[in-house]
Amino acid sequence: MISTLDKLHAILRRDLLTAIRHRSGFVVTLVGVFTELAAFYFLSRAIGPGFRPGGLEYFPFLLVGTGIYTFFVMSAQAFLSAVQEAQQTGTLEVLMTTSTAPAELLVLSSISAFAGNLVNLLVYLFTGVAVFRASIHANLLSCVAVLIFSLAIALALGIAAATLQVAFQKGSAVLWLLGSGLWFLSGTMFPIQSLPRPLELLARAVPLTYAIDGMRRALLEGQSVVAMAGTLTVLASFGVVLLLLALTGLSLSLRRARLNGTLSFY
Amino acid sequence: MDRVVFESVRKTFRHRPALFNWLGKERGGETIALKDVSFSAASAEVLVLLGPNGSGKTTALKLISTMLLPDAGSVRVGGFDAQRDAGAVRRQVGIAVAAERSFFPRLSASENLDFFAALDEVPRRERAQRIKEVLHDTGLEEQADTLVMKFSSGMYQRLGIARALAKRPCVLLLDEPTRSLDAATTAHFWATIRTLARQETTVLLATHNFAEAAAVADRLLLLHRGELLANRSVGEGESADALRFFYFRMTGEIDEAMNAIHRARTAQ
Repeated sequence: MISTLDKLHAILRRDLLTAIRHRSGFVVTLVGVFTELAAFYFLSRAIGPGFRPGGLEYFPFLLVGTGIYTFFVMSAQAFLSAVQEAQQTGTLEVLMTTSTAPAELLVLSSISAFAGNLVNLLVYLFTGVAVFRASIHANLLSCVAVLIFSLAIALALGIAAATLQVAFQKGSAVLWLLGSGLWFLSGTMFPIQSLPRPLELLARAVPLTYAIDGMRRALLEGQSVVAMAGTLTVLASFGVVLLLLALTGLSLSLRRARLNGTLSFY
Repeated sequence: MDRVVFESVRKTFRHRPALFNWLGKERGGETIALKDVSFSAASAEVLVLLGPNGSGKTTALKLISTMLLPDAGSVRVGGFDAQRDAGAVRRQVGIAVAAERSFFPRLSASENLDFFAALDEVPRRERAQRIKEVLHDTGLEEQADTLVMKFSSGMYQRLGIARALAKRPCVLLLDEPTRSLDAATTAHFWATIRTLARQETTVLLATHNFAEAAAVADRLLLLHRGELLANRSVGEGESADALRFFYFRMTGEIDEAMNAIHRARTAQ
């Protein structure tokens, strides 16, 4: 346990040092957050106060939807980029020969990637509330519960991207899926009830839909954990199943890469 | 006691061309990297793997490190099988690979070493001292706090050796470790290898360099096109020229080499 925490500390430190030494990175991120939120703010004003999806004001609805969606995409992308970079430099092969088991190493690395994006999400939500006056009625316990289960799902997506990258050098397929179908079906910008019935049913099979809906109810409506028990159970089930599938896939793809000698192919 | 055991190891790399291969000319088929190779290395022994490009030297080292898995046969390190007990094997093995840039560019030399030492489960209280020692041994003390993206090829190579040493492995694997090093650093490195062997470390070193083989080897494995052509001890004071002659005699490359020299002289 101490050894695992020590490794996690080393990985977090590596990623933090790398991030702060990309001097312009933070500034670009902040400018990006501000610009995006400004666009959504004026979009919601243009649409007018009459449009209240699920009884919520449109700007806070967008704030939570895009914030959680971006968190998922950026987390998977950050993790995938780390794996791709390690393949290109040859670091991945060396990392796989350390005393740390490959699966443990990748899970710890993904936690680090998500920690950075969690900070981005908090900055995004804080800016939306503090600068653009989004009204919230948060139930903190419910917010934390939704976030924890959403993290498990995001972790599984990141590991799935790494698995595809190691196995077929195509981890970007997960990003493509997140960037196209899941964006459309997860209720990021409009409620899924607006979709035709078959697509609405499909949307209900997407874990991201529950993460976004859960966070809206916890952060904007202040619903309690008890009131959200159904959504939290679905999120937890998705998290456990997807994590198990992703870890099994990763283990198989690493073994295949070691047999074929393709660990550092990109 | 034998610390590393290779038993009838076979490794083949398959090349499957991409779809629509008619658009390009990617080669299909397979490359046999190792053909039923068997050898062993004892504690405190320096075993040099000599052979031309593509002879299977790096593949052998990668199999011991668990970076690759064999298609047939077995690789054992300290009694553990590299397939079934990969974790136990990795704890005993340190590897310095030929890829020079296998570091995190925006971390300094000491930060990189600290990161890898943590993953190698070097206790936190010992890490700073060990890093200091290996930076000294590889002549990188003054560059300890320099970001490695500013390093030259030789510095990268030294840092790769430092990374492998920081773990204090029982088995040290070195793939062309002095390829980019200057003469003085190379000589110092050879002395370090002999010191490690006296401290019971098993060293397997892949090289093309006959002087290096003569300087450090207790025993020599000659690999050629995936086959083990020779496995013999290296005598005290045996010269690089003697090894070169042995190499050319065994591989049959002597005629090719002489013809090339003749052509070059004729052209002048």
